[in-house]
Amino acid sequence: MRTGIFICHCGHNIKHTVDVKRLCEYFSTFPGVVVSKDYPFVCSEPGQDMIQESIKKQGLDRVIIASCTPSLHSELFKDLLKKSDINPFLLRRVSIREHCSWVGDDIEINTEKARRLILAGLYSAAHYIPLEEKVVEVQKSALVIGGGVSGLSAALFLSRMGMQVYLIEKEDELGGHVRTLKNVWPAGRDGKIIIEEMIKDLKGQNNVEIFTSTTITDFEGFFGNYEATLNTPAGEKKLTAGGVIIAIGFSPFDARTKPELHYGEDERIITTLDFEKNGDRLKLPEKPRVAILHCVGSRDEQIGKPYCSRICCVNALRVADAIKTRYRDAYVESFYMDVRAHPRGGEEFFEDTQEKGVLFTRANVAEIIPAPGGITIRGEDTLFGEVFEREFDLVVLSIGMSPPEDSKLIASLLKITLDKDKFFLEAHIKLRPFDTAVKGIFIAGSCSGPKDVEESINHGRASAVKLFGFLNLGYAYVDPFISYVDPKRCSGCRMCEQACVAKAIKYDEIKRVVHVEEAACMGCGLCNATCPSSAIGLKGYMDSMIDDEISAFLEAI
Amino acid sequence: MQEAIVNTNRVLTCIQCGKCTGSCPESGKTPFNVRMLMRKRQFRNTIEEFLPWYCTSCGACTIRCPRDVKPSEVIIEIRSGFVENGDIPAAIQKALENTFVQKNPWGRSRAKRGAWVEKLDFEIPHVSETASKRLLFTCCIQAYDPRCMVIPVNVATILNRYGIEFGILGEEEACCGNEIRRIGESGLFEELQEENKTVFKEYGIKEIIALSPHCMNAFKKEYGDMDIKVSHYTELLAPMIKNGTITFNGTYNKKVIYHDPCFLGKQNGIFDEPRDILKTVQGIDFLEFIRSRENSMCCEGGGGRMFFEVETQYKRNSEVRVEDAFQKGAEVIATACPFCVMNLEEKAVEKGLEVKELSEILMEVL
Repeated sequence: MRTGIFICHCGHNIKHTVDVKRLCEYFSTFPGVVVSKDYPFVCSEPGQDMIQESIKKQGLDRVIIASCTPSLHSELFKDLLKKSDINPFLLRRVSIREHCSWVGDDIEINTEKARRLILAGLYSAAHYIPLEEKVVEVQKSALVIGGGVSGLSAALFLSRMGMQVYLIEKEDELGGHVRTLKNVWPAGRDGKIIIEEMIKDLKGQNNVEIFTSTTITDFEGFFGNYEATLNTPAGEKKLTAGGVIIAIGFSPFDARTKPELHYGEDERIITTLDFEKNGDRLKLPEKPRVAILHCVGSRDEQIGKPYCSRICCVNALRVADAIKTRYRDAYVESFYMDVRAHPRGGEEFFEDTQEKGVLFTRANVAEIIPAPGGITIRGEDTLFGEVFEREFDLVVLSIGMSPPEDSKLIASLLKITLDKDKFFLEAHIKLRPFDTAVKGIFIAGSCSGPKDVEESINHGRASAVKLFGFLNLGYAYVDPFISYVDPKRCSGCRMCEQACVAKAIKYDEIKRVVHVEEAACMGCGLCNATCPSSAIGLKGYMDSMIDDEISAFLEAI
Repeated sequence: MQEAIVNTNRVLTCIQCGKCTGSCPESGKTPFNVRMLMRKRQFRNTIEEFLPWYCTSCGACTIRCPRDVKPSEVIIEIRSGFVENGDIPAAIQKALENTFVQKNPWGRSRAKRGAWVEKLDFEIPHVSETASKRLLFTCCIQAYDPRCMVIPVNVATILNRYGIEFGILGEEEACCGNEIRRIGESGLFEELQEENKTVFKEYGIKEIIALSPHCMNAFKKEYGDMDIKVSHYTELLAPMIKNGTITFNGTYNKKVIYHDPCFLGKQNGIFDEPRDILKTVQGIDFLEFIRSRENSMCCEGGGGRMFFEVETQYKRNSEVRVEDAFQKGAEVIATACPFCVMNLEEKAVEKGLEVKELSEILMEVL
């Protein structure tokens, strides 16, 4: 074995608090270590050249790079190994920046920890074997779940790019919530028109199948070849698709959850959504007194909704604006905790509304007391520090977005994760905001957290672009970290079958042992940990390798 | 010191929205402002010593706080600082001393705690002599106050008539400490808790029927895991009335409005049992306050307010409540808490209304 160890200074980042020279000297004496070098920036071009040259000249078959966290630059160094004609899975990254130099200032302690981490990496790398990335065939088709504005925009993009699209919708018509909105921010267009245009475009495509009044009852398969069972009005239907976009939207917050607001008990207490639908038909006096309450169903720990719904401040402002436009002499008072007019132009709209004479009182209204003469609103004006009780003719509750009612069902069918608020969780909030943890399944729109119409459309398109990139070639590479079964050790107890989330373990009734469906395996390691006979291993993470790594770190070898 | 029952660290997350102040039955008409207290607590500013004593521990702020700051618990913490330094109203001081000596805040003789049973025409066994180990917990005010003493008498009579076995502790019963904890004297609360728990354990008590919602709250939520079933007496009677075990012979031809006690209703979610009982009584025209259930208005009897008077002159909630009832056309205000009975009655009489504890209505129709 010919191992090369490259220790990065990361400028001053590592060098200042880890004695890199001492480490180099220490590891150069190890048997099998033919190169032990330190360098200011190994990720720089000269740094890469140095590594490439060492690999070629010294004929290295293991490369250990001790530098920043493996989540940074791993692809870069893998490519470097490929270019140098050795298997990229013979690379070992050791984090001596995040795990050592950035942790403390004591150079002795840091250097000792770095030494042990590199040592562990060295022992572990000795077990490495060359692995090949798998190539899987993928269907050039997509299943879009949810026919709201986000799902429609995703379906439209994919179909225009020539991909077969199956769009399923639970309700009997497409369009979701946007269809019911009369005045969509920011241009004030009728939601129904926006939706009808999108549907018209979509129906003009010859590669789209739309299923309304349809739910999903079963879901199987793996990236590139997912199989869904649908419950359609015409009976059960099975279809396969390369990837999935979940765009099941949101549920409006049910204001009845908050008893102090008396929603649903008095017709003078309505929500912003009610106002949007029936605002024109409201019977109000000539000089109506209207109260608007912000943050109903948002930023509230008592009902398990600590998040800001992002859309409701602008909705509240729009209601205030609409009333002031219709009744110039109306007394409109908006009760807020903070005004968060998120979208572009929102803050200016807030200013306009104030100019029109809408009053803003910083108060989280404590209770609404619906008396026959007028609805009394009680709360504390927190800026005056005074408790007030004022009478109104109409109260509009600016309700927030709750997770879609089907989120748990879809999450369990597709084996994806929900966040603590029961919205769908993205794989990485910054780097992979459209992906789920399962390859080829994407989320779009407000089912991954509150979004306005514009954001939902963009989110839908973005997910579609990502999915298109995954499927367009007709094949895809997947990580080679998959499980394998030693049939001689397998006792056929089938515990792994139950543990497997990807349904990749198959039982052979005749041989009475299991085997792994390689294309389906996600490499999570659950079967490996479950197997009582140690008959299952995970490529790239073998038991012996991990044992040695731990032993080396604890200096037990 | 035992770990705090409720975590109050969340005061730092307070966003000063004012939900607490608006919900508070005292804020607005007295110098008391919950939000300001939270603000001062965040910065550890000095708090005027008379301020925290307005709180009635009704819990409205804690139930509604969008940040789950639990303002009423923070107030207990503020009070405990004053208790430790002895900067507390004399009447509160007296109540604490009384509780320490006689195990009841009014300082009545502990030996007479079981004296109410003399009004009964049957004998109640000591709980240790019962097979069911079911304890009827009297509560201090109901053991001594002549107005409230009828409540244990009534409930005991009903239970006895329908063959439910139960026992009492007599003078071995100590104050539950619910109000004592809210006054901020956690040391004394722990002592009372210890004493009661020891007795419960000694006699192998399996079930407690609490007559006061305040006692029930303490046993249910603040005594830790005792492995004892705790219920309010209405929780016991409601199903028996529903399934026909208890039937009424008489009628009660009055307009009755029900006032939710804070510790029974908003703090423990028992809204329907008392209503179900009342609605079953023939002749009752059942009315509801606009502010009912979770939104019920506090009578101002909790959190130590039964033991002393605040200095500010203001329109008492009992008066507001009675006026509301009057406007609704009620003749009788029914409730299920001795403190509520005591507070509402004075104003109700002025308006010509009656205040009845639920068991009093039941006794008239059985």
